[in-house]
Amino acid sequence: MFTTGSKLLIGSTVIATLAAVLYGVTQKGTLGTIGLVSASVALAFLTTINMYVRDANVSATDIDAHAAAPAARRPPAASLWPLAAGLGATMVALGVVTFPAITILGLIVLLAATAEWLVQAWSERASSDQAYNTAVRERIAQPLELPILGAIGVAVIIYSVSRVMLGLPSKSGAVVAFVVVAALVLVVGTLTSVRRKLSTATLAGLCSISVLAIVASGAAYGLNGERETHHHETTAAIAEDGDCGADETEADEDTSQTVSAKANVAATITLTADERLAYDVPGFDGGTATLTLPRSTANNVLFRNESDEHRRLSIDTAGAAEVPDKRVICTALVKEGGVQILTVQFAKPGFAAANGYEFTVPGVDGAVLPVVVP
Amino acid sequence: MSRRLVGSVGIGAGLVLLSAGCADEAPQDTWQPAGENAQRIHDLQWPVFLTAGVVGVLVTAVLIFVVIRFRDRGQPIPEQTHGKPALEVTLTAIPAVIMAVIAGFTIPAVMALAETDDTECVVNLTGQQWWWEYDYPVGEDGTICGYAPTSAEASPIITSGQLVIPTGTKVLVRGTSRDVIHSFWIPRLNGKRDIVPGRVHYLRLEAEEAGIYAGQCTEFCGLSHSNMRMEAVALEPADFQRWLDNELEPYVAPDDGTEAADGEALFIQQCARCHQVNGLVDDKNNDDPADDALVVSAPDEFVWSGAAPNLTNLMTRNTFAGATWDLLTEECRDDVWNATPAEFGEKYLEGVTEECLNEVDLREWLRDAPAKKPMYADPEELEATDGKFRGMPYLALSEDQIDLLLAYLIDRK
Repeated sequence: MFTTGSKLLIGSTVIATLAAVLYGVTQKGTLGTIGLVSASVALAFLTTINMYVRDANVSATDIDAHAAAPAARRPPAASLWPLAAGLGATMVALGVVTFPAITILGLIVLLAATAEWLVQAWSERASSDQAYNTAVRERIAQPLELPILGAIGVAVIIYSVSRVMLGLPSKSGAVVAFVVVAALVLVVGTLTSVRRKLSTATLAGLCSISVLAIVASGAAYGLNGERETHHHETTAAIAEDGDCGADETEADEDTSQTVSAKANVAATITLTADERLAYDVPGFDGGTATLTLPRSTANNVLFRNESDEHRRLSIDTAGAAEVPDKRVICTALVKEGGVQILTVQFAKPGFAAANGYEFTVPGVDGAVLPVVVP
Repeated sequence: MSRRLVGSVGIGAGLVLLSAGCADEAPQDTWQPAGENAQRIHDLQWPVFLTAGVVGVLVTAVLIFVVIRFRDRGQPIPEQTHGKPALEVTLTAIPAVIMAVIAGFTIPAVMALAETDDTECVVNLTGQQWWWEYDYPVGEDGTICGYAPTSAEASPIITSGQLVIPTGTKVLVRGTSRDVIHSFWIPRLNGKRDIVPGRVHYLRLEAEEAGIYAGQCTEFCGLSHSNMRMEAVALEPADFQRWLDNELEPYVAPDDGTEAADGEALFIQQCARCHQVNGLVDDKNNDDPADDALVVSAPDEFVWSGAAPNLTNLMTRNTFAGATWDLLTEECRDDVWNATPAEFGEKYLEGVTEECLNEVDLREWLRDAPAKKPMYADPEELEATDGKFRGMPYLALSEDQIDLLLAYLIDRK
């Protein structure tokens, strides 16, 4: 009769020999074949020695004792982990031809099921005492199982809640729904603390039903899809559409009228009360003939509106003569006394731009400020 | 090895190390201030170093004494005491007083160095991998740094490598960066200033005497950080006026049929894609000047930072490639660097002559720039930069082409 160790070594020798033959036939390289043949020879040698010494286990020669050993006993129950591992392996294969996500999920299932299977198989034969074996298994597996299962459970609940919140017909509906849910949690919690005679089974049932309800709601809303969310226009979008004009656009609604970056800006441009464009270059107390900004770098310019109307600052950063070639950018409408920032970058020097560069305020003809880009 | 020998070697090595700080010809020496701002830092660092040195020596001496005097000789452990309020208060109060005195001098100095109210000249500074660009805006009164051009109309001057300033003038440098964080530092004129993309930083400079003041980038900024140098050139007012007028002179094209003219054509073909020369036109072999096209570089299409040095009047500068190499031969360079303040302006403004041109380094640069200065210039390894170079690429110029370019560039002043 072959001992356990011998079976392992015989199997390894056969696999190495088959691999050597397969590699030698299909591959041109001799190095791999030599390596595999060497491995099979070495394994055959070890197998021979191991068979001779009977796994170095004196009791292995005692047939009766071997039959009575814990390892020889039938497991207490059938295991589901091989099934789970098989499912994981199938998912890996399925994912390869469909979606990579299924492969990743399959790998996780395969690894988890294999680990559980190994621990279970080992623990069931740890001793002849089944109670001890169960305790050993829990001591090994639970420090891993509990946090992982807890994290998965929390993630499922959070994801379900998020699906419900995104699926409710309106933002205020989501707020109301979860105020009600929170109130229910509070009421149930209060009742539980007041009625101390409530059994653990009842509490567990309540919690289970709640979790099931959340998950079912999440699944239902998830399948139904998210409610339509309105995307607010930006100044970049209106600039792209050529709407950097004097009229109010959606991008101008509820825009901020203050800027936190008050220092380290390239210049501050002000639309004065008499609707002229004035500028201030920090550190340049004497003033400059023209506003000079460097090329090929981001220049942060503050726009301050001191006029009575809502105005925006605009510039064509291409300095182009024809409309299709223009690259106009602008701020949102700035209220009286408000400030906004505009980041401007010029690719070419001013003399290379057909129309040069100039800041303008749409709707105010006299508000023009040339920019020198050397 | 005997203890005496080890001690002697240790003391000798320490003295050698100490004497390294005594070099009086070091161009980047914070102990040789040459302007009001650097002097202010110098006046502060002397007493601080002195105080810190005395404290350091005292603490070390006491420590060595205690270690030797009370070393373990197998004696019984002495009585352990805890808490000496008088000693603890004294040892806390002494450093606190020292720090308070130092702060009393430091805070006003820091405030003074940050002042911009008295600025007389503003220069915009832009850092990029691995060189500095300077542009001089025109003031409200039509002057540049308070100097009105003698003949030409004032327009912004753009240059690189050397920052030219008038002596005795409070200059405010307004710095920004086109790519990564750099740091501008000319030790003899002021402390360091980090230059961050998207922000504008200020640094005051003032040189009392005419001369060249060296510096280098002090914020690691990539492959050739160590080759990102800068020089401030201080000129007497009259000399600064001459420099200014020369910078505003219109472009003069080489005479037709000369080697320089061929060099100009080659420059337009090979170099002007990135390097701007103000006023350079491409006559496209047309007889009618009306058909001439202004040559406009488009470095943003080829260079990651979006810029390459403007080479107008290149030969008025003494350096190239981020002020890393001299355009002057060693002898001519020494002649300029060692000139007295009275002679300096004349020698500097002479620019680079044919006799003084450092052809060796310039030729090597034109032959294979990335081999001379490490840059991200391998066309096959530019995925991360959208195919754009960081620095000058290899142009595969022949020796004849280099000759033509040199013939053209030598007249750019």
